[in-house]
Amino acid sequence: MKLSISKRLAAMFAVASFVMLAVLSIAMHGLLKRELERHQSNELHARWTMYKPIVVRNDDVEHWQYVRQKFDNSISENNRVSLWVQGGDPHFVYGSPLTDEQRHSMGANGFGQVRLPGHEAPLKTYSAEVEAHGERPAVLLTVGIDSTPFVETLQAFTVGLIALTVVGALGAAGLGYYIAGVGLRPVERLSREAQALSPGYLSRRLQTDTLAPELSELADSFNGALSRLETAYQQLEAFNADVAHELRTPLGNLIGQTQVTLSRERSLTELKEALHSNLEDLERLRAIVNDMLFLARADRGERAPNRVEVSIAQEVAHAVEYLEFIFEEAGVKVRIEGDAQASIETSLFRRAVTNLLQNAVQHAPRGAEIVVFVLQQPGAIRVSVQNTGPGIAREHLSRLFDRFYRVDSSRSGSRENHGLGLAIVRAVATMHGGTVFAESESGATTIGFTVAA
Amino acid sequence: MKVLIVEDEPKTADYLERGLREQGYVVDVARDGLDGKHMALEYEYDVIVLDVMLPGTDGFSVLHALREQRQTPVIMLTARDRVDDRVRGLREGADDYLVKPFSFLELVARLQALTRRSRGQEAMQLRIADLQIDLLARKAWRNGQRLDLTAKEFALLAALARRKGEILSKTTIAELVWDVNFDSDTNVVEVAVKRLRSKLDDPFKPTLLHTVRGMGYVLEVRDEQGEDT
Ligand SMILES: Nc1ncnc2c1ncn2[C@@H]1O[C@H](COP(=O)(O)OP(=O)(O)OP(=O)(O)O)[C@@H](O)[C@H]1O
Ligand SMILES: [Mg+2]
Repeated sequence: MKLSISKRLAAMFAVASFVMLAVLSIAMHGLLKRELERHQSNELHARWTMYKPIVVRNDDVEHWQYVRQKFDNSISENNRVSLWVQGGDPHFVYGSPLTDEQRHSMGANGFGQVRLPGHEAPLKTYSAEVEAHGERPAVLLTVGIDSTPFVETLQAFTVGLIALTVVGALGAAGLGYYIAGVGLRPVERLSREAQALSPGYLSRRLQTDTLAPELSELADSFNGALSRLETAYQQLEAFNADVAHELRTPLGNLIGQTQVTLSRERSLTELKEALHSNLEDLERLRAIVNDMLFLARADRGERAPNRVEVSIAQEVAHAVEYLEFIFEEAGVKVRIEGDAQASIETSLFRRAVTNLLQNAVQHAPRGAEIVVFVLQQPGAIRVSVQNTGPGIAREHLSRLFDRFYRVDSSRSGSRENHGLGLAIVRAVATMHGGTVFAESESGATTIGFTVAA
Repeated sequence: MKVLIVEDEPKTADYLERGLREQGYVVDVARDGLDGKHMALEYEYDVIVLDVMLPGTDGFSVLHALREQRQTPVIMLTARDRVDDRVRGLREGADDYLVKPFSFLELVARLQALTRRSRGQEAMQLRIADLQIDLLARKAWRNGQRLDLTAKEFALLAALARRKGEILSKTTIAELVWDVNFDSDTNVVEVAVKRLRSKLDDPFKPTLLHTVRGMGYVLEVRDEQGEDT
C-alpha cells in the first residue's frame, strides 16, 4: 500500500514524538520514585529518633506501662505508623506479634519492609537497637509507616505520563499532517500545472520563481526536459515539412509523366522510355527516403554499432580510391595529411568522407589540390577536407549541415544534389560522439567532422 | 532454383513473384507468418525471402522456427531502419537483409550471392562473343587484341562478365568493384563504365556493354536494333 507523503510525515512525527515523550516519562518516573523513597526514609529515621528516648527513659517493668501508653496514643493519633519493640525479656516488648518471615523481611538493623494483613502496600520499616539500661535488656525498636500514599502518588503520576505520551504523539501526528499538507501545497500546484501541459502548448513551462529551492530544482529539470522535447518536436515538424517538399517534385513528375504517357496510344519504345524515366525518378525517391531513414537513426540518438579500431588515413584513402575516377575527370589531385587510430564504423566513416570529397571536387577548380587533414586532438580525431574555390558566404556556414540546405537555392529539388550530403556527415559524426565544422576564408573552404577518440 | 517469398503486402508479393519467376526461379508465396512458417518447414527451398512485419506471426518467429530445423538461406526484408531489427535478424540466423524500400535488382543480386555460395568453383576463363577474359591473369582480349585496362576497369569488366546477361545495379557494382557497402549518389560507376566502354566497345563491334536506364548495366550480345542508349 502506498501512503501519501502527508500521511507518512504524520506517522513519522507521531513515532518521533512518542519516542521522545516516552523517554522523558521514564526518566521522570525514575526521578520521582527516588525522591519519594528518600522522603520515606527520612521520615522513618526522624520518627525512630523521636520514639527512642521513650524506650530509653523507661527502664523498669512499672514504667514500661508508660511506653505502651505513649506508643498506643501515637498509633491511634496517626494510623499510618506502626511500632514494635522486640527483645529477650517478655516484660519489655511492644507491638503486634510477628511471624518469623515478617521479622526476617524487617531486618535486624536499618531499613526494611513488612507485609501486614489489612494493608495493600507493604510497610516500610526502620529498625535499630536500643542499649540495655537498668532492668531493661537491650531491645530492637522498629518504626514502620504505611507506603500506600507513596505508591498511589507514583501510580497516578505514571498514568498521567502515559496519557501525556499518547496524546502528545497523536497531537504531533495531527499537526504533522497539517504542516505537511501546507508544505506540499506547491507540489499540488506543480502537478496541476503539469497536467495542463500538452503538445498543443509546447512552449508552456512550470512556474519556478515562487517555489522552494528543493522543488525549483526539480521543476527546472522538468522544464529542461520540456525544452528538449519542444526542440525535438519542432525538428520533427520541420523534418516532415522538408521531406514533403523534397518529395513533391519527383512525385509530381511521376504522376504527370505517367498520365501523359497513358493518354494516347504509344509505341513500345515510347512506353519503355516512359518507364525508364519513371524508374530514375523512383530511384531518386528511394535514395532520399533511405537517407532520411538514416538521418532519423542519428536523430534518435543511436550510436555507431559495429566499431573497429582502424587507421583513419587508411579509411580516407579507401574513400579517395573510390572517387579516383571523379578526381581524374575533374582534373584535381588529392593529398592525405596526418593519421590517427580511432574506433569507428568504417562504412559510416567512409560515407561521410566520400560526401565531403564529393562536395570538394564539385567546387574545386580544375588543377586544384584537395587536402584531407587527419588530426589527433585531445579526446577527438578531426578529419577535414580542404579545397580552393569560390568559398561559402558567412551566412550560409552555420546552416550548411541542415538537411536539404543548399547554398544555391535554385538547385533545390535538383536531380544531382539533394542537399543531404552534409546532413549525413553530421549524422555520422553524432553517431561517433563527434561534431562538425565548416570554415571558408580567402578562397579556401575547409569542412569536416570529429569522432570521439 | 526454388524460392519462398513470405510477404503480406499484396503488390510487393506480386511483383516479387513475377520478377523472380521471369529470372528463372520457381516461386512460392506465403501471405502471412503462419503460412510462411508452415511452408518453410514443410517444403525444400534454396532460399527464403522473409518480411519482418507480418500478420499472424512476425518474421523473427518464422526465422526462429525455421532455424530449429533447417539451414535454408534467408534474406530478411526490414521495413524499419532500426539497427536492432537488423542485428536481431542476423543474430537469429538470417543470412542477409534488405531495408525497404529496396530495389528489385538488389534483391536478385543478393539472392544470387546467397545461392552461389553453395555452388562449386567458377571458370577462370570467360568468353562473350569475341571478348575473352582471364580472371587469374587479370587480362582481357577482344578480337585477339589485348585490352589495356586499369585494375578497376578490369574489376568492373570481370564483375559484369561473371554475370553476363544480368543487369547489375550501380550499388551492386560499387560493392563488387570498390567494396563500398553504403548508399552513395556519386557517379563513379557512370564514369568507370564510360572509360571501360571507350576501351572495350568503341574500337570493336558488336557493342557488349549496355546501359539499362534507371536499372544499371549489363554485358551481353544484343541484336543491334534492340539497342538501348
Ligand atoms: N567544399 C565546398 N565548397 C563550397 N561550397 C560547398 C562545399 N561543400 C558544400 N558546399 C555547399 O554546401 C551545400 C550543402 O552541401 P551538401 O553536401 O549537404 O548538399 P549537396 O552537395 O547540395 O547535395 P548532395 O550532397 O546531397 O548531393 C551545397 O549546396 C554546396 O553549395
Ligand atoms: Mg554534397
